[in-house]
Amino acid sequence: MAVTAITQPQANIMRGADLLVSYLKQEGVDTVFGYPGGAIMPVYDALYDAGLKHVLCRHEQGAAFAAVGYARASNRVGVCIATSGPGATNLITGLADAYMDSVPIVAITGQVTSAVIGTDAFQEIDVLGLSLACTKHSFMVTDKDDLANVLKQAFTIAKSGRPGPVLVDIPKDIQLAEVEAIIETSHYDPIPAVEHTDLKAAIALLEQAKQPIVYVGGGVGMAQAVDQLQKFIEVTGIPSVTTLKGIGAIPTTSPYALGMLGMHGNRAANLSVHDCDLLVVIGARFDDRVTGHLATFAQGAKVLHLDIDPAEIDKIRDCDVSICGNLVTLLPELAVPLEIKEWQQKCWDLKQEFGTSYNAPYVSIYAPQLLRQLSDKLPHNAVVTCDVGQHQMWVAQHMRFTRPENHLSSAGLGTMGFGLPAGIGARHARPNDPVVVVSGDGSFMMNVQELGTIKREQLNVKIVLIDNQRLGMVRQWQQLFFEERYSETILTDNPDFVAIAKAFDIEARCITQQSEVLSALDEMLKSDGAYLLHVRIHEADNVWPLVPPGASNADMMESV
Amino acid sequence: MSLQQSSLKVSVNNSPELLERVLRVARHRGFKVELLSWNSESSTLEMTVSSERKISLLSKQLEKLIDVTQVVNLTEITQEQRA
Repeated sequence: MAVTAITQPQANIMRGADLLVSYLKQEGVDTVFGYPGGAIMPVYDALYDAGLKHVLCRHEQGAAFAAVGYARASNRVGVCIATSGPGATNLITGLADAYMDSVPIVAITGQVTSAVIGTDAFQEIDVLGLSLACTKHSFMVTDKDDLANVLKQAFTIAKSGRPGPVLVDIPKDIQLAEVEAIIETSHYDPIPAVEHTDLKAAIALLEQAKQPIVYVGGGVGMAQAVDQLQKFIEVTGIPSVTTLKGIGAIPTTSPYALGMLGMHGNRAANLSVHDCDLLVVIGARFDDRVTGHLATFAQGAKVLHLDIDPAEIDKIRDCDVSICGNLVTLLPELAVPLEIKEWQQKCWDLKQEFGTSYNAPYVSIYAPQLLRQLSDKLPHNAVVTCDVGQHQMWVAQHMRFTRPENHLSSAGLGTMGFGLPAGIGARHARPNDPVVVVSGDGSFMMNVQELGTIKREQLNVKIVLIDNQRLGMVRQWQQLFFEERYSETILTDNPDFVAIAKAFDIEARCITQQSEVLSALDEMLKSDGAYLLHVRIHEADNVWPLVPPGASNADMMESV
Repeated sequence: MSLQQSSLKVSVNNSPELLERVLRVARHRGFKVELLSWNSESSTLEMTVSSERKISLLSKQLEKLIDVTQVVNLTEITQEQRA
């Protein structure tokens, strides 16, 4: 096993906490997000003058989402740090979010001193036990001489194969113990080799298809295979649809890019998938929000499934041919020209027929149109994060993205409160690119304390807060499927959002009329620092189209 | 689909939480553990599970665990021997 020494000017002996910080720097980590507390104090002592940027978030959940935003915006590993007990439990939602969306983060938690683990000590919780369901892997360091190797493994596991969150729990005595600064390189590399027979079978499926569709998921962005995907689509000419996480992998200007499929996908995408005879699934996993009623999803189609995770093959839908491997090398091997002109024309016609219109149903501001106008004003390198609910779907439907890492949306877990801290993380990962958080009045309050982080770091993050005084998506479902019984979704008692922003020295403005939109967007984008644009919209605006639960994707609702 | 029983032999790198990891995956993915035998010396676990779901769903999820080195479906081997 190869052995690498950490560069350290003084002796080769250091505290465990110092080794952790040195290791993070060696890994190329430039920023960590966290919150101090008793059992992690040695690490904060080591951070004090180590030259590694630490961002104090105002809740550990904010720190975890900031690490997720950092990782997703940059394709690097995000790092968050918390203390034992409540600090660790507050990270859990962020870890679960990263797990569902395959985001590489490493969470470091302090643990009570080894001697008192298992005695219900102050701020003790079995975080290793808690982590089992929401991490790719987790460690509790029990031997000080293992610390370096555990850290190395944690980063390797987080970013290799299908990425995911890794937790490292470090008892306080190990943070304080003298350790040798030696790191053994680990050999964990789970990427399976591609067999030539699979490629032949895959190409045969492609060549036989008359009506193929490419169904693109988040795996393409995670594999950094966007260029290879675009080349594959250019060469084969296959019309494409994307999942929520796949948005940005194919430019919307691409002639046969049909947009997002699924519950709030557009009709052209869903109808094309419904009619296809071959579904080429690339880094996607047949999520129920994508398929609708599974038995009728692409019912007549054969399936070619490409993914790095063998456990996704045949998990939901049996496929005809599958290849597990790295999309960067795999996609060029499959890029063969196809004769599918009639089918391309049919998809093109559907795309024209079901194009977006912005006929506002009410005289008030129409959020889909505002988001499209915002999108048109943003440069291609802008990062947009969003929260969860109606505004999230409007962002996915109406904003335009040229890279998956520019659209950060909590997809798998659907976590309200994601947007603001994820925007903070993205801003640190890409300090030269504009960052816009689109939130709703429900979601915004879930991590509103992170305005304190924006103030502390003087971050130039723009916030568009779409306010219908409702928990809008739940309200929409109550209207459609629960006889308009609006149980606990009416938020007419919302706080004064402009006043909240101003309390954190953040410039803010409220708009209520369509005539104000363009100048307000300009004012926000031209402002020097953070800015909150509070946008009041009509409470009855709904997200359309919608596939009702249990229905086929071909049966979309377009109105109440 | 009817309830089916299968037996798996799971080879692992031992860790204190290893059994929890394996049992959590089995439960969460919809498999009831009928029989379990754990040999910490050889770091192998033999389990008989029942489920309406196909056994490959469980074996693939177990193979994803970092501490699991191999999963062998003993039911398939027995069937091959019978044939």
